[in-house]
Amino acid sequence: MRLKVLGSSSHGNCYILERGEQTLLLECGVQWKQIQQGLNFDLSRVVACLQTHEHKDHSKSIREVMQAGINVYCSQGTADALGISSHRLHTVPPLKQFTVGDFVILPFPTKHDCAEPYGYLIYCISTGEKLLFATDTYYIRYRFSGLNYIMVECNYCGDVLKEQVAEGTMAVPRKNRLLESHFSLEHCKEFLQANVTTDTRKIVLLHLSDDNSDAERMVREITDLTGIDTEVADPGKVIELEIYPY
Amino acid sequence: MFSLSNEIALFKKTDMEAITKRVQQFINNGELTLPADYSPENAMKSAWLMLQETVDRDKRPALQVCTRESVYNALLSMVVQGLNPDKKQCYFIVYGKKLICQRSYFGSIHVAKMVDPDIVDVYAQTVYADDEFEYEIRHGKEVVTKHIQKLQNINPDKIIGAYATIVYKDGRELSTVMTFDEIKQAWKQSPTKPIDDKGNIKAGSTHEKFTADMCEKTAINKACKYVINASSDKSIISKYAQMMDAELKEAEVEAEIEENANQEFIDVTDYTVDDTPEPQVEPQPTLEIEPDLAESEETPY
Repeated sequence: MRLKVLGSSSHGNCYILERGEQTLLLECGVQWKQIQQGLNFDLSRVVACLQTHEHKDHSKSIREVMQAGINVYCSQGTADALGISSHRLHTVPPLKQFTVGDFVILPFPTKHDCAEPYGYLIYCISTGEKLLFATDTYYIRYRFSGLNYIMVECNYCGDVLKEQVAEGTMAVPRKNRLLESHFSLEHCKEFLQANVTTDTRKIVLLHLSDDNSDAERMVREITDLTGIDTEVADPGKVIELEIYPY
Repeated sequence: MFSLSNEIALFKKTDMEAITKRVQQFINNGELTLPADYSPENAMKSAWLMLQETVDRDKRPALQVCTRESVYNALLSMVVQGLNPDKKQCYFIVYGKKLICQRSYFGSIHVAKMVDPDIVDVYAQTVYADDEFEYEIRHGKEVVTKHIQKLQNINPDKIIGAYATIVYKDGRELSTVMTFDEIKQAWKQSPTKPIDDKGNIKAGSTHEKFTADMCEKTAINKACKYVINASSDKSIISKYAQMMDAELKEAEVEAEIEENANQEFIDVTDYTVDDTPEPQVEPQPTLEIEPDLAESEETPY
């Protein structure tokens, strides 16, 4: 599989996951034009767009995506909050898997300050690869087995946040909001400890904060902890996801 | 010198001397003035007795599970804010290995008066559907101008809101008015979870039994929080009061995560079976969409 990062921050989130002739769009929180360019203007390969929640940095181009004939999958709560309806919109219940093209997808509830956010467990039928996609969540209730690739949010460093509050550069209400909406490095590490196995090949860190993250430190600490190749989803990056690297 | 560390060292009664010294430093530096009738030693003695009875969720004694650092911080914060557990101005809760001192609404009134000495009183009232109730917004602040209640109006099923009023030395009165929905929203955040998923007050909860009292406490807490948070950053009392609120929030979130995260195994099954919710339709390549038209659509979130 190949992962193209179009955006991974509060400025916009969108990833293109390619596997053979089929492509999954993960979120659409960037300009539609950027998505078209990312897809090389070939929309025929896109089998679905998976939407985590309604916030604009994740859903900016959702109407254009549907108008372009791409099926969008999200929770009922997300659809209601977005106020959208279309025959391209498929609201899916939590923890009930569905199949699109070569992918089996299991949506699961995440924890964020919005209506009904989801993360997605994505299984590729023809290759047996398993990928987890979870962003904008301050923890994940679930555990998974045999994950090959983990795309997970790592938004802020708890200690940096504390220092900022002490120095007065971060307001307490904003800090409280962060605590109950985004994954800290510390909690992300606990999540990875519970889910990384010998099957895991790659960890991709998503949605780093502009103000209180430290990409280098996050990658270093997570690599040290898990021993797994880890990188940050910088916009424009193309990340190869391979079970057998040689 | 008292050294702080993250390792689990237990707090001893003798450690309280370090707190007394620290408070004395604040006083000597002119950073802190405690009320004349407040004795840090007495407050700490009361706290010490209370801590003997404080247990965590698993009924283990607080002083055997909480870090020395968290007990030190909780007691220091209590003294700086001039709180006395004997007067029910604060109480202690154990979250994991952390001891948290939480202000009661009495405590919040006390701290608001300390950070703003012009405050002489804070009171609250519940508003019922049949009450005559009016308020104005003056300079962005709510001022209750009329509240006439009849005894027969008082009915827990007819609460429409509550307000807290701060009375100043010069006679000014400023209020914080909350609708019942706003109050219930605040209760939703409470760790005691008095509101169910449908937004109703849980039967048998303190909030159900004493709804009006709880409404008034919530309004008072909101009014005092505003005073405490709006006061000068230089005020060490306000700094510690805000830190106490922040620590409580942190501890609540930590406890939630510790209890719920990474628990239940889920996985995909029967991959070969196609149970697509909708039949697959080949997506059609599309024409460019007018960017202006697309941007003009509202995206409520």
